[in-house]
Amino acid sequence: MSFLSRSEYDRGVNTFSPEGRLFQVEYAIEAIKLGSTAIGICTKEGVILVVEKRVTSPLVDPSSIEKLLEIDSHMGCAMSGLTADARTLVDHARTEAQGHWFTYNERIPIESNVNAIADLALDFSDSDRKKKTMSRPFGVALLVGGVDPWDGPVLFNTDPSGTFTKYAACAIGSAQEGATSMLQEQYNKDMTLKEAEILALTTLRQVMEEKLSKINIEVGVIPASTARFHTYTAEELDDVISRLPAPTLPTLTSAGTGQ
Amino acid sequence: MRWSPYTDNGGTCLGVAGEDFVVVAADTRLSQGYSIHTRNCSKVTQLTDKCVIASCGMKSDAITLHKHLKARLVMYEHQHRRQASVTAIAQMLSTTLYYKRFFPYYTFNVLCGVDDEGKGAVYHYDAIGSFERVPFTTSGSGSALVMSVLDAQIDKGNQTIETPTLDKAGIVELAKDVLSSVGERDIHTGDYGEIFLIDAAGVSKTEFDLKLD
Repeated sequence: MSFLSRSEYDRGVNTFSPEGRLFQVEYAIEAIKLGSTAIGICTKEGVILVVEKRVTSPLVDPSSIEKLLEIDSHMGCAMSGLTADARTLVDHARTEAQGHWFTYNERIPIESNVNAIADLALDFSDSDRKKKTMSRPFGVALLVGGVDPWDGPVLFNTDPSGTFTKYAACAIGSAQEGATSMLQEQYNKDMTLKEAEILALTTLRQVMEEKLSKINIEVGVIPASTARFHTYTAEELDDVISRLPAPTLPTLTSAGTGQ
Repeated sequence: MRWSPYTDNGGTCLGVAGEDFVVVAADTRLSQGYSIHTRNCSKVTQLTDKCVIASCGMKSDAITLHKHLKARLVMYEHQHRRQASVTAIAQMLSTTLYYKRFFPYYTFNVLCGVDDEGKGAVYHYDAIGSFERVPFTTSGSGSALVMSVLDAQIDKGNQTIETPTLDKAGIVELAKDVLSSVGERDIHTGDYGEIFLIDAAGVSKTEFDLKLD
């Protein structure tokens, strides 16, 4: 096999390169960096998820772009990357959640559900055995937030490698770096859900190229008090946008350098 | 006589829920018809730190069911990193029984434990998974005898004179008395009794003698 040049190791999804890398998985992670930005913040009072919707043309109906989905009544997720791939993962997560409720008459722990998503993320192969499953890694990252029946509000990030990590605050997508540094500076674990909502949206506003409006964002919340996932209506979006503090200029450069 | 896949191995069990504890009692006789197979065979299996199950009916089905539940609960613990609550086990037992809807386990179960709120919980089942959370219940060959005593001593329906509610020790004594009395009339109940007390301290087991005849 000595004729294989290094770049040829990126053909098989199940083949390690001599340096021990899985190129297709790494490329899938790259696909997320092309996606629109999604931000999640976890507080003691609940979890907030915000996403940017890239409305590519005025002819597109923005309501048809859905990047915030309910998994079960107590948990939801935001996505970035190939959002079509997310549907497979969310379908699986929803099945898993209802299966747990059916068998145990309790809401599934968030971490168990994220574990199930991560299991599927690595379930790609091009063998004959499962022709119907994915033959490439999923090109999507998810921010899964929810109110766990035992642990309270929690936030997880999953990526195409099947890794999942618990976060206090997390950003994915094209502006991951800028948004993450803003979150790092301004997050504190004692902040209220209302403060987190403002932080998430101001961070998103800083990193968005277009002007933030109720048309090009989605906001979802799972308050600890109700433990129910809720996506903001147009009126609620209007209300929260009107409450945002005036932007500090210049926006894009300060976000990029984390100043 | 036609061969049957089912047999009744007799015996009686009961469960009573208190405010923050639960008492489970069962005899240990294993019989078939007029013969006694074993005098010392427990009907009760501890499933978690806060939950036990008592099963009457056919012993072999009970063994299989208890083993299956224990395996499922280990899997639950690995998957979710904590022990299943009594309420979760109650639902799981129901689905487990219903999955054998058309060749049921011949078991009549009483599931007892302390729930996530710290309250005593008793669940009663039929053989195919219909279940209900109740203040007290009983199943097995002497259940009709037990139930009337528990109704009179715990539920006290239609009683006009106020009497104090039984405390933990009182319920344990009542459980012993009622099993001893059942041993007088029911030939499938006897030999030894087991009492499981579940409270904040965990599960504790005591044994006592019943009639051996």
